[in-house]
Amino acid sequence: MEFVDYYTVLGVPKTASDEDIKKAYRKLARKLHPDLNPNDAEAQKKFQQLNEANEVLSDPEKRKKYDQYGKDWAYADQYEQAKQQRQQQARQHAGTGGEYDFSDGFGGADFSDFLSSMFGQEGGRTRTGGRPAKFRGSDYQAELHLSLRDAYTTHKQTLTLDGQQIGITIKAGVENGQKIKLAGYGGPGVNGGPKGDLYITILVADDDRYKRKGHDVYVEEEIDLYTAVLGGEKVIETLNGKVKIPVAAGTQNGGKSRLKGKGFPVYNQEGAFGDLYVQWQVKIPTDLTDEQKELFRKLANR
Amino acid sequence: MNTEQLISIREFCVYHQVESAFIEALEHNGLIETMIIEQRVYIHPGQLVRLEKLVRLHQDLAIHPDDMDVVTGLLERIEDLQQQIVRLQNRLSFYEPM
Repeated sequence: MEFVDYYTVLGVPKTASDEDIKKAYRKLARKLHPDLNPNDAEAQKKFQQLNEANEVLSDPEKRKKYDQYGKDWAYADQYEQAKQQRQQQARQHAGTGGEYDFSDGFGGADFSDFLSSMFGQEGGRTRTGGRPAKFRGSDYQAELHLSLRDAYTTHKQTLTLDGQQIGITIKAGVENGQKIKLAGYGGPGVNGGPKGDLYITILVADDDRYKRKGHDVYVEEEIDLYTAVLGGEKVIETLNGKVKIPVAAGTQNGGKSRLKGKGFPVYNQEGAFGDLYVQWQVKIPTDLTDEQKELFRKLANR
Repeated sequence: MNTEQLISIREFCVYHQVESAFIEALEHNGLIETMIIEQRVYIHPGQLVRLEKLVRLHQDLAIHPDDMDVVTGLLERIEDLQQQIVRLQNRLSFYEPM
């Protein structure tokens, strides 16, 4: 763990007065406040650091301890011990199912490693200094990574949140960046306030073969020169199995064939699909035998 | 509607340490809707996300309730634009795989 320089975080010198610190905090909070930076994890992280810095430096006792401790930083053994403890707690707390990453809107559920190791887990997250207290529980954010092929079919996923297993159904045709809301699966409310919600952002990875464009899917397929010239058939792999399709005589390189209804499912519309476009790559023969060359010459001279 | 499901503004104000005049100003500016049942003011739980955000903006950043509509309007536009960017990135990744 690295030493966090709270003076740098606030952008003030070590000699800063209480008033300077207050001003610097207010100025930066107006810039980095999570409510003003929706969906910006970096700003949320910085805001958390800012709050920590303010919490420590605006409290004379904590500031004194920080100044003292900071000087002897390299020798602080308690640190590693505290870090290990925290990691254990974090593991118990998280228990997430592999591909999910959780956070809440205000930069993580716990104190940072640095602050808790210096002041302990009870180190004084106060109402004014940290995450604002809420009547309604916090909303949690999670990410779910899917392959394009996963997104093609309606399927179930299980995630573990605070030891509780939650089964969710991901409907076919989900889009990259789409958010799914699970009402009531966020943090607990206070004073009878309702629970927050869980928002899952779906991230669909690109596929090497299938390119998605809205509901339509594009694939590239090779055909030999003779099939392109004379026409024929070709068996191709689609997202739901193999199909044999005709190749028209005189197919150009880069020409397309459309397979209606063989594209991507439309989200929330049972039975509706986009189209599949097959883009033909005509393979020009190389390494011809003398006989083949002669036949081509004959064709060329006619 | 059953008042048990509603949030009493009085309790909300005590908990969040805000004046009821603040809530009135937000309602006056069309940012939230309250309801009065037997002379008590309530808010629907569905509006809590928005209301608590407004409270944070007021308490953490000293934004005046009369200016709140400007801030929330801009924030909504940011979120719309962010969604539009995601849609455009999805579209762009068809031409330029990322």
